[in-house]
Amino acid sequence: MEKSVVICGFKRSPMHFAGKGDLAKTRPDDLAATVVKALVEETKVKAEDVEDLIMGCAFPEAEQGFNIARLVVNNADLPISIGGATVNRFCGSSMTAIHIAAGSIQMNAGDAFICAGVESMSRIPMGGFNPMPNPAIFEKYPQAYIGMGETAENLAKKYDIDRNAQEEFAVSSHKKAAAAAESGKFDDEIVAIGEVSADGTIRPDSSVEKLSTLKPAFLADGSVTAATSSPLTDGSAAVLVASEEYADKNGLPKLARIKAIAVAGCAAEIMGIGPVPAVHKALERAGLKVEDIDIWELNEAFAAQSLSVLKELGIDEAKVNIDGGAIALGHPLGTSGARITGKAASLLKREGKKYAVATMCIGGGQGVATVLEAI
Amino acid sequence: MTQINKVAVIGSGVMGSGIAAQLTNAGIPVVLLDIKLEGKDLAKDAVAKMLKTEPAAFMHKKNAKLITTGTIEDNIDLIGDCDWIIEVVLEKLEVKHATYEKIEKARKKGSIVSSNTSTIPLHKLIEGQPESFAKDFMITHFFNPPRYMRLLELVTGEKTDKKAIDTIAAICDEKLGKGVVRCHDTPGFIANRLGVYWLTAGVNAAIKNNVSIEIADAVMSKPVGIPKTGVFGLIDLVGIDLMPKLSDSLLSTLPEKDAYRDEFIDHKFVHGLIEAGYTGRKGKGGFYRLNPDKPKAKEKQALQIDANSFDESQYIKASRPSDPAVKAGKHGLKAVVTTESDGGQYAWDVLKGTLSYAAALVGEIADTIHDIDEGMKLGYNWKKGPFEMIDELGAAWFVEKLKEEGLDVPEILTKIGDQSFYRIEAGKIQYFGTDGKYHDIVRPEGVLLLRDIKLSAEPVISNKSASVWDIGDGVLCFEHTSKMNTFDEQIFEALIKARKLIEKSDEYKALVIYNEASHFSAGANLGLAIFMINIAMWPQVEDFIRTGQKVFMDLKYAPFPVISAPSGMALGGGCEILLCADAIQAHAETYCGLVEVGVGLIPGWGGCKEMIIRNQERESAKFKKDLAKIGKENLWFSPDTTPVGAARKSFEAIGTATVAKSAQEAVEIGYMRHTDGITMNRDRLLFDAKKRALEMAKDYAQKEPLTDIKIGGAGAKLALDMAVSDLQKSGKATPYDGVVCGHLGAVLSGGDKDLTETISEQELLDLEVEEFMKLLHNEGTYARIEHMLEKGKPLRN
Repeated sequence: MEKSVVICGFKRSPMHFAGKGDLAKTRPDDLAATVVKALVEETKVKAEDVEDLIMGCAFPEAEQGFNIARLVVNNADLPISIGGATVNRFCGSSMTAIHIAAGSIQMNAGDAFICAGVESMSRIPMGGFNPMPNPAIFEKYPQAYIGMGETAENLAKKYDIDRNAQEEFAVSSHKKAAAAAESGKFDDEIVAIGEVSADGTIRPDSSVEKLSTLKPAFLADGSVTAATSSPLTDGSAAVLVASEEYADKNGLPKLARIKAIAVAGCAAEIMGIGPVPAVHKALERAGLKVEDIDIWELNEAFAAQSLSVLKELGIDEAKVNIDGGAIALGHPLGTSGARITGKAASLLKREGKKYAVATMCIGGGQGVATVLEAI
Repeated sequence: MTQINKVAVIGSGVMGSGIAAQLTNAGIPVVLLDIKLEGKDLAKDAVAKMLKTEPAAFMHKKNAKLITTGTIEDNIDLIGDCDWIIEVVLEKLEVKHATYEKIEKARKKGSIVSSNTSTIPLHKLIEGQPESFAKDFMITHFFNPPRYMRLLELVTGEKTDKKAIDTIAAICDEKLGKGVVRCHDTPGFIANRLGVYWLTAGVNAAIKNNVSIEIADAVMSKPVGIPKTGVFGLIDLVGIDLMPKLSDSLLSTLPEKDAYRDEFIDHKFVHGLIEAGYTGRKGKGGFYRLNPDKPKAKEKQALQIDANSFDESQYIKASRPSDPAVKAGKHGLKAVVTTESDGGQYAWDVLKGTLSYAAALVGEIADTIHDIDEGMKLGYNWKKGPFEMIDELGAAWFVEKLKEEGLDVPEILTKIGDQSFYRIEAGKIQYFGTDGKYHDIVRPEGVLLLRDIKLSAEPVISNKSASVWDIGDGVLCFEHTSKMNTFDEQIFEALIKARKLIEKSDEYKALVIYNEASHFSAGANLGLAIFMINIAMWPQVEDFIRTGQKVFMDLKYAPFPVISAPSGMALGGGCEILLCADAIQAHAETYCGLVEVGVGLIPGWGGCKEMIIRNQERESAKFKKDLAKIGKENLWFSPDTTPVGAARKSFEAIGTATVAKSAQEAVEIGYMRHTDGITMNRDRLLFDAKKRALEMAKDYAQKEPLTDIKIGGAGAKLALDMAVSDLQKSGKATPYDGVVCGHLGAVLSGGDKDLTETISEQELLDLEVEEFMKLLHNEGTYARIEHMLEKGKPLRN
């Protein structure tokens, strides 16, 4: 590699349930602007040096429309010289924003990038306001439009993951997140949005007994429930991506180095397995093996999906989502890529480990992965 | 009259919170206070509880936001800007007096205070209170639940300010929709005084005559025009434990020679029931219970009363009573009470006492027989009041029977002779006064009743299913008269005639669609539909659908305004006739919905079309409103509508057969427009509808059918199909729901049209017929219709 690319900072909003949560009344372009502003202030990057603001968003319409990336530049009172591009890879959107920045730096097309993600699932419904699937595609490949819950059910069957295992995984996610919140481990990353300064999605008193009473959410005779799925959530996250050279010259903080990236497609009806081929590709590019990785940030779209990936890759669960995952912290679609990549980078530093991988599955059948290296 | 802009309710029990909710239903902000209890927030909890109870206290959940809660101890100052303070605290005089002291300190000058007491006389309540309090004070006695029970007993004192009385009477009537009945300051006022006597007589007669409670309730209900709970079912509903409290209160306050004292028996078994936890429906059961040994079977058991003791072995499986008196109900009240059977004798024994008691109390508890009848009709949901019942029996016959049995004949019955308590004179109803003369029943300003008009008029159009009445000032009123007000050929014929009549005449200028049945209309006649399917009368069915469409289009585009004025249920076709009107003036308790999917069909008389139009209208208005906020009429990015939004909203309402649980909910769902009107008092509905019709008639411009309705095309259709498919997978929709919704989606997305094309109203109607007819050929639809006809509820196939 010609240039070294580093992650210099990570901020996120508190996470709150869509509809009933404390961020339901906050516009996504306001939400993201607050987070971006805080990132710029904390990293002390010279705003005029930022090349582009790349915003991941899964349903970029209505209040997330009009190229929200550029509008967030304006809304965060950043210099008009900064560009703005909105990127959509559904759940992987803002991880792709980071990948685009890394690639651009390699191309010598900029020194510093703000890579953010946003999704108000309260204000823009999943599927958007005007879903208009193409009957011709549906005819030849109906699973292109398959509901996410059903793909989790498919994986639960394929990898033989029973309901109890899913519930234990979900409860563990909540316990880890609750412990992290309790011990102030989120304090550095959370940006208060108005009065809202803590996550609203974590359920510290979650238990398998309680969860076992819920009805299946997607298939009448299925095993996946609302509690073993990531909740619909409002939230935003942002990371600052820069060339290491620029960071050093300007005295910016450095959390981790981006070692390799990858994207891979898979069958849509088991989209949740997407991280497996993506991780394989990324690790190969980094010259690493699964055992070499100390920290895993795996987006918990569903417990069944996460457990399938862990099983297939042979990952030690103790290394995964040590501060809790999306089942507890929520999954505002476009936001999660920046959140888990930023989280993995800051965990490398905090835990003093060598390698981390952030990876996630994507509706329609894809996976993305980012390999990080300690500095 | 004083303006009532804000009200305080003190006491957040079932009645207090229910009254608060009804005030918010009328759009009035409420301060709801209760006592301070450590670790509890009584008023707040009461509001939260009301949001969950069925039937709902709020007409729309958002109304709850109009309530500010607090405690009497900390927040009494909140009543400072309230115009009316309603006290609903414990029925204990000292508690009430202590509350009044606090109210008196905090309330503003000239505000009105009322008590919801049901047992304590007004003169006791104002005892020791300052003159200013007595002047502003009265009793407003609501019935439970306050949203649904229409009676409001108003008791005023000699000192009560006349203006305050008018203010409260008006607000209770117009805003809260109550039937306000003026009562004297006597124990139990009207309804409970008579009601408790009737219940007591009902229990005693069953024991004395050894009549089972099943027979007693079967006779003392529908056959005599009383709700189906009868005597024992009603006691179970209100709570058996309440009975001794009511009797104690009456016995301690009633005059010495009151007939209730003779009727009252302190039954041992009643105490036994209460002690064992059998307090009625709120407890383990009461006179009736579900067999606890077979919890799943829901086997109803009835108590075989032994007046002296209660034990659980007295419950046996409830039988279906077959007493001939039940059937005699078809031939009127006299047939019931003269039937020679256990049931007939029971009915007579209960009613002779109750009706005589009512007659003896005229003048004592209320000024007129009419007030007493209204009290029982509105407060106990009797079809007829005691004096209307006596008229039905024949007053002279009734007196003769009393004499035969050696019973006292109350004074007013000696005066009435061969006459009846009510008569019609020169088109007006008159009642028999205590002075022995007849007096007109005067309706308050703003009340217009079709039943009054009918007394002296002939319909201008009439057939076996409908009548059209001249309701004055050039307005005609279309009234369904078919069974359950269903639609048939005759209804359409009468509607066509009505349109022609108004169009041709100089005399008429507007049409109101209205009737006074408990339910506006149940829609199409399903019995007829299944008959036509059975003999494969497909062309006739199609013709019937097209006729309906044409009639409704003719109404929508008539050269005069058409106002629909529903109350109660308006389902299927009954909802579609609302949608085709220029405006809806709905009674607040209107329950409308396009429920065709429940019988495997889709709306065929323009329901799909109107929902699309309404939802697009609403979407477009919202976009315009957003633009207005920034002072613009349009911008490069301002859409008029979205291709799928309106279709999806319509799909949700029709596809799930959503029935609005109030007129306010109907606005939310989109059956009603924001510009449509809501009338709180049932008796004012026709007046309001007529007023609206006349306003619209002033410069009415005939409209043209729409030709440029936007549609979503194939992409929208697939999106709707996929949504249903997901619901099916999760078990929330049945296989046949998917089939029906597929046809619904085809209409709502515009058939074969592309997103870039528009569709006309007629084309949408054609699509409705096409998809409707396809469904009609399906076995799944047939099964649903048949099931609905037999079981009265939808089949989930």
